Amino acid sequence: MTPGSTCAACVALFRRDLLLAWRRRGDIAMPVLYAVIVTTLFPFALGPDAALLSRIAGGVVLVTVLLAMLLSLDSLFRSDVEDGSLEQWMLAPQSLPLLLGAKLLAHWITSAVPLIVIAPVLASMLRFPTAAMPVLVAALLLATPLLSLLGGVLVALTAGSRRSGMLLALMLLPLCVPVVIFAAGAVAAAQDGLPFAAPIAWLGAALALALVLGPLACAAALRIAMDA
Amino acid sequence: MANWVPLWLHKLGSPPIFYRFAGIVRPWALTLAILAAAVALYGGLVLAPADYQQGDAYRIIFIHVPSAWMSLFIYGAMAVAAFVGLVWRIKIAEIVAMESAPIGAAFTFITLVTGSLWGKPMWGTWWTWDARLTSELVLLFLYIGVIGLYHSFEDRRQGARAASFLVLIGIVNVPIVHFSVNWWYTLHQGSTVRLVGPSRIDASMLWPLLTMMAATKLYYVASLFARVRAELIASEGGKEWVRAIALGEDARS
Amino acid sequence: MSHFFAMGGYAFYVWTSFAVFFVVLLIDALAPIARRRRHLRQLRSRMARSEARRRPGTTA
Repeated sequence: MTPGSTCAACVALFRRDLLLAWRRRGDIAMPVLYAVIVTTLFPFALGPDAALLSRIAGGVVLVTVLLAMLLSLDSLFRSDVEDGSLEQWMLAPQSLPLLLGAKLLAHWITSAVPLIVIAPVLASMLRFPTAAMPVLVAALLLATPLLSLLGGVLVALTAGSRRSGMLLALMLLPLCVPVVIFAAGAVAAAQDGLPFAAPIAWLGAALALALVLGPLACAAALRIAMDA
Repeated sequence: MANWVPLWLHKLGSPPIFYRFAGIVRPWALTLAILAAAVALYGGLVLAPADYQQGDAYRIIFIHVPSAWMSLFIYGAMAVAAFVGLVWRIKIAEIVAMESAPIGAAFTFITLVTGSLWGKPMWGTWWTWDARLTSELVLLFLYIGVIGLYHSFEDRRQGARAASFLVLIGIVNVPIVHFSVNWWYTLHQGSTVRLVGPSRIDASMLWPLLTMMAATKLYYVASLFARVRAELIASEGGKEWVRAIALGEDARS
Repeated sequence: MSHFFAMGGYAFYVWTSFAVFFVVLLIDALAPIARRRRHLRQLRSRMARSEARRRPGTTA
């Protein structure tokens, strides 16, 4: 039997992950629900002062989305490790980085896209100015795949270990500091009526770099962590 | 030419030889470190005059700056060892990288605490989100992440290799964090707080500082070798040479 | 002498810093020594156990 092309394998993997996510629709809703709960709590904690809320809205939404993504990242490879499909991909003749890229894309679509859809609603709940909303969505569109890729590398490193959870958050914090700074910087600049192109461009540059290096690093990390 | 250098390095990769070598070097490094620290402290606390701007509070510099330097130096050393361990699969290099992490975390912690204690009387605040302070905090998180990842694996070598990879990711990350915080800070606030006020430092203050830097370097060597020896005993427990050591120490005590 | 310990009014900050420095490094220095002792002790008891298991039946 000749092995299928890498492209076909990637498409098959991508469809499988989307199908699996669709079969467990409740799990997709969990991060969204989490983000809604966190942002609803902020006005109760800080008081309903519109000026204060609109000033912190951008940062709160960004951090909430990041934490909600962290929630779903933890289980990125878990079922694949448990049922052995991960070892199959590592042994497969197709290129592992591209397979993992397809998997990360599916993960981004199932976990980050719902959050991006809900983000404007959450932001307006916190009195975020409507004029700056496109910048917030653009920042999220660039920052969330970046976080998926960075998180994917770290999840791959913990794939062979006993516990992750908190450890993953601890390892991701140093890596996501620049992402948060630039995303929040762009949103704050747009809110103040300042030029916001520079931080958006930095995020885009980082994303371009991560798109190339992320799957490669992810594959390398997986080979190290699963190497028995 | 000097053929013995690669040969010597090759021999040092063998656990029993490294164990013996570390055992010989460690007491010397520790003694020299204590001597140098004593001289530096005498010079820094007694001989050096008070700063005309900061009074006596500046004397924290004699531990703060060497610790800050060591926190970065140890990360660099750890990254080199991690790279060597990942590429050539040398067991000693993996152990050196992993045993460097707690020492680096200790120095980073000291840097943060003494920095706060220095900042409170000088700037009037314990903490500010300056690029250097934030980078140091991120460095501490990286160290803790490396230690945590290493210990989360059942198999120690597998854990060491995964954590080594994290070390290499981190070395790309630290300059990016420093740059991005710098950019962010200048966006929000006009001027950055200068950590080390005077750029030119008097000779009477410089020599204790440099002596203290030498002392912390020697201490790192001593502590690292002690840790590597302890780890070798643990991981090579089944080997003949470790059993001989265990019996030998039993006979002596 | 009391002038020296007063550190020009900054005694708390200066001496706390030095105390943190030496306490942290002391812990760092003592931990591996204790760890090495513990591992050697465990190894000795393990060896003693396997020795005792072998001895009763001398034919084996």
